[in-house]
Amino acid sequence: MTTIPGITNQSILPLSSSDSSDVSKAEKSFADYLSSTLDQVENTQKSSDTAVEKLSTGQAKNMHEVMLAVSEADISVRMLVQVRNKALDAYDKIMQMQI
Amino acid sequence: MDIFSSFRVSASALKAQTIRLNTISSNLANVDTTHTPEGGPYKKKSVYFQSKPLSFKDELDSNLQGSVQGVEVTKILEDKSPPRKVYDPSSPDADKDGYVAMPNISALKEMVDMMSATRSYEANVTAIQSEKRMVLKAIDLGS
Repeated sequence: MTTIPGITNQSILPLSSSDSSDVSKAEKSFADYLSSTLDQVENTQKSSDTAVEKLSTGQAKNMHEVMLAVSEADISVRMLVQVRNKALDAYDKIMQMQI
Repeated sequence: MDIFSSFRVSASALKAQTIRLNTISSNLANVDTTHTPEGGPYKKKSVYFQSKPLSFKDELDSNLQGSVQGVEVTKILEDKSPPRKVYDPSSPDADKDGYVAMPNISALKEMVDMMSATRSYEANVTAIQSEKRMVLKAIDLGS
């Protein structure tokens, strides 16, 4: 006759395990994503600026490349503004929360 | 494949069509040119379009990318057809039979090619505008 093993609570991890800090370091936070996106948007704006500068100094070989760089910068900024709006909305919602 | 991929595909086509238009301008400008540095009359030039993958990095991004290709002008070729012979004995360029070798260019065909290049350019600009509209609409989802 086999005995039924007793119920153990070994599978339940403690709330503050020592590993959890490493996991949170490995995962990127929203702030990290936001700052890397900001960098990318800044890069598109810089390349757009360079393209416009080249156009006005007569170094640009193709007109369409300038216009596309400007469009890319425009779209990136619009996207970033929307993300910022959403983040601010969430912050406002939390601030208005009744406790 | 990011949102700006189709921008780059259309931009490569815009560049290719610009080069095509430059070639046609050269042909039209030299429609009566009987002397060239290489000797003989000017020979009609035509562009050689070749499809190309966007970039190596994009190739790695996804296996879908292989089917999305831009275009580029890899070379500009000379037309092989013989020069047009025009009977003009008074011309200083005339040979002993009185014929002058003119470039193998038909101004009419060049005009038609030019219209085709312009229309292709416009089509690609429209594609870019469409893509831009789509992206801006997607951003509208957020608000």
